[in-house]
Amino acid sequence: MSKSPLDKNLSRKEFFKLAILGAGGFIAAGLGGVGLTYFLSPAFKQKKEDWVDLGPVGDIAEGNPVKLDYIQRQVDGWMTVEGRSSVWILREGLTVTAYNPHCTHLGCAYRWDENLNEFLCPCHSGVYDKQGKVLSGPPPRALDRYQAKIEEGRLYILPGDKTV
Amino acid sequence: MIREVLDWLDETTGWRKLKATLLDRKIPKGVNWSNTLGSLLLFCFVVQAVTGILLAMHYSPSPDHAYQAIQFLGSQVPMGAFLRGLHHWTASAMVLLAMAHLFRVFLAGAYKYPRQMTWFTGVFLLLVVIGLGFTGYLLPWDQKAYWATMVGSKIAGSAPLVGPWVSKILKGGDTLGTITLARFYSIHVLLLPAIFVVLVLVHLFLIVWHGIAAPPERMKKEPSGDWKEAVDKRYHELKEQGVPFFPDIVFKDMMAILFLFAVLAALARVKGAGLEDMADPTATDYNPRPEWYFLFLFQLLKYIPDKLEAIATSVLPGLAVGILFLLPFLDRGARRHALDRKFWSGLGLATVGGILFLTIQGLRAPDVNVTVPKNPQVIRGKELFAEMRCASCHSIDGHGGVVGPTLDDAAARHNKDWIERHFRNPQAMTPGSKMPNFKLLDAEVGDLTAYIISLQGGAYSAAAPKLFQDQCMSCHMIHGKGDDSGPDLSLEGKTREQGWIALYIADPEKIYPESAMPGFTKDLTPAQIEDLALFLSAQRGTKAVVKAAVARIKDVSHE
Repeated sequence: MSKSPLDKNLSRKEFFKLAILGAGGFIAAGLGGVGLTYFLSPAFKQKKEDWVDLGPVGDIAEGNPVKLDYIQRQVDGWMTVEGRSSVWILREGLTVTAYNPHCTHLGCAYRWDENLNEFLCPCHSGVYDKQGKVLSGPPPRALDRYQAKIEEGRLYILPGDKTV
Repeated sequence: MIREVLDWLDETTGWRKLKATLLDRKIPKGVNWSNTLGSLLLFCFVVQAVTGILLAMHYSPSPDHAYQAIQFLGSQVPMGAFLRGLHHWTASAMVLLAMAHLFRVFLAGAYKYPRQMTWFTGVFLLLVVIGLGFTGYLLPWDQKAYWATMVGSKIAGSAPLVGPWVSKILKGGDTLGTITLARFYSIHVLLLPAIFVVLVLVHLFLIVWHGIAAPPERMKKEPSGDWKEAVDKRYHELKEQGVPFFPDIVFKDMMAILFLFAVLAALARVKGAGLEDMADPTATDYNPRPEWYFLFLFQLLKYIPDKLEAIATSVLPGLAVGILFLLPFLDRGARRHALDRKFWSGLGLATVGGILFLTIQGLRAPDVNVTVPKNPQVIRGKELFAEMRCASCHSIDGHGGVVGPTLDDAAARHNKDWIERHFRNPQAMTPGSKMPNFKLLDAEVGDLTAYIISLQGGAYSAAAPKLFQDQCMSCHMIHGKGDDSGPDLSLEGKTREQGWIALYIADPEKIYPESAMPGFTKDLTPAQIEDLALFLSAQRGTKAVVKAAVARIKDVSHE
């Protein structure tokens, strides 16, 4: 192009080309912007915290870990799903620890052995103490913990990947 | 460097020749704005493909979830409502533009030698567009979707001989349900778009191959002998005098596209795509109306007696499509100008006029049923009640289990707050209750409570029976009391909902123009009308309700 596009003597052809580019670009940007906002929106969505009510904290035995089963209704997209899960709760006075019920090694369900005072994982013989610390076996880290809180005498936990 | 890359690309793809063929080709003089219709259609298809792919990310083609998915899309997903609106309006635009495009080509006689095949593919494309429209509007699974498809498949089913087969194949069985929705979804997003793309490619190839038809010229007489050579020669003359496709014609197309896009985006933003109540096969107060582009057929059915229904549903449409396909064989010869083909132009204009007339008549036709807005919470609550199998323990209207108390009059025994708290923690409200704590979500508690209250017709106030006695019993009877000059209202709640009753009390003529009942907007406050409606909608013949109503009416009559 010999002339600048902003030249007052813009030729008919160049004007056409610019207008086509402009209109096309505008539409592409508009539709593309809307489409990308829609498509990428999950990345910016804040996860809603679904605290699970486990009942009066006074009903939970003190001293040794107990396994509590619970049903959680959760909104999953446009559906509401009901899932059964469990959690290991260690209550010592008003201090409550909630353990993710899966071994940190490969995710097997472990159990509490009252005689040994240890958590035993049946898969690869992982052993944890009452506080969730690894005593022996392959687990790479201590037991994962859920967030837990006591409100008006009731125990709530926040199951999820996040460990505390 | 750039030069070398371009050369290499040319060597490997031949793009320079392609560009010369596609972009630098000359377009005959006199091609005007009406020639942008085809490009607009192509643009619409691109918009539909883009928006359609995105919309499918929040959809589930099952009657259990389709409606909920659309609700979610419209309320929870950023830009979801806009994209759905755009898809909806672009679909309408596509049907309109396809018809306009076809009509323009028809008037210009552009389906004649050598462009017959372009015409055939075009008519096919129109049918595919209509098919996309028909299959698309079932997908939201709302009342409109359900009933329009019901009517549509019945129409297909009324075709002579093959009708019942066509209807079954369309629905995937005898009933309109799960299989139908999945089937329509597959046809809408996979089958028809694939056919569309193939047809468009052929259509576009033929357009480039033959060149865009020049504006028709008058011809006094049909030329004799071999006129095809003369037609070709004249076309090449006109083409040489023309302008290059790029940028001159593309500029026009682009401006038209920009304008269309602005209109569609505005419609999507301002009007959006509506979503009615969820499909309800038992609804009796719904006014099924097809999408506007099928309205002329819908209207035509009103004028045709039952026995001749097949004329409107299959003979006329079949004839129209048949004529469209056969047109290049029926109307042969070199003369393309509309005034040189008076019969065909006349027939075309008459058809378009007829369709316009019927469409306008259809749009002006009043609805038979009055639309009464329903409480969406009640609808959701009812669904949840079924989904959670509450009827295993509780009965409503005599149906259900006996483990828990019957729920018809639960709202009469307890207030809203009590019911909500009971849902959250049954034992706290009723010690020893066997009802499990379902850990309901907040929204679910609200929905279920609204439903339970609606069973009672809502919790009407203590003043409602007295109001009824003072205002209504001089004409209406209830549970054996009152006057019988008007209808007995003892079972009113079985057939009418509270919203409908309230509307009727306020202005009966709005619902039945010939009603003898006066309106009560002057005598009663809106709150009193609501209260009365609640009371009446609670009248369902259930023993407990009757007992409560009779007791209360007695109470006031003793005062």
